Amino acid sequence: MSNIHDEPAALKALQDDIYRERVLRARKMTVAERLADVFELSNHQFGLMLAGAMHRLGTRDEDAGWLEVKRWMQRLDRVREIGFYSTEKPTDK
Amino acid sequence: MTLEALAICLIAAVESAGVEFMVVGAVAAGAYGVPHSTRDVDLLISAKVAGGIAAVIGKLDPVVQFDNQIVFDTLTRGRRPVGLSRSTPPFKVELFEMLDDPFVKSEFARRQHVFVPALSRATWLPTPEDVIVQKLRWGRSKDLDDACDVLAVQSPSALDMAYIQNWCMQHGTEKRLQTALAGIPPL
Repeated sequence: MSNIHDEPAALKALQDDIYRERVLRARKMTVAERLADVFELSNHQFGLMLAGAMHRLGTRDEDAGWLEVKRWMQRLDRVREIGFYSTEKPTDK
Repeated sequence: MTLEALAICLIAAVESAGVEFMVVGAVAAGAYGVPHSTRDVDLLISAKVAGGIAAVIGKLDPVVQFDNQIVFDTLTRGRRPVGLSRSTPPFKVELFEMLDDPFVKSEFARRQHVFVPALSRATWLPTPEDVIVQKLRWGRSKDLDDACDVLAVQSPSALDMAYIQNWCMQHGTEKRLQTALAGIPPL
């Protein structure tokens, strides 16, 4: 069975199809509907992160799971925010 | 606490402190692009009211724990207090202080008052053009994706591309804009 990742043109066509579907769906929505989706997806995402953290720790303790989620978030922030923020007031415009 | 409940608390705190604001970041990008999840609520707030930020932080204290460390945004030079919601999930809250950055001032002057049923209230959002310019300016991978999404969903033919191009020229981000436009497949 062929692997689409070995065929750049086919992979690009598939990626474009998926993206096109997402964009056309979003175009049919109002600002209010899109915002409602942002809230719903965000709440759901944290539920999944908690489940993943508890599974990884091998615990049923939600508090321990949330601590692990916070640790993950801090790691992500450290990676994403390098160079964007400073503890000293920037002087150059 | 859900993200929308936290957003309602934030907006109520800022409004009761008499501080002008608008919602920015991933929530604003999701309003005009492809909705996706986010871990934070970001507000751009005016520095016109003396002590405004401190008042907002004080009002939010029951729901958000802010870091003591003062952090500055290196692009716009404003202060950026960061906090985490005290309840779970640990949503992040970022308050971006509006100083004298010309683009941010323009973005703020053009903000739109939009009723959001999920929040049962109206709130302030940037225009889609300003979301695109700011996301291209930040330029991180997720920001470039957001810019591309807003361009694709709103469509260049319906956007004020001259406004976007003008700010991109001033910010030196024309290449990022061209890349984002090229990344949109025929729809």
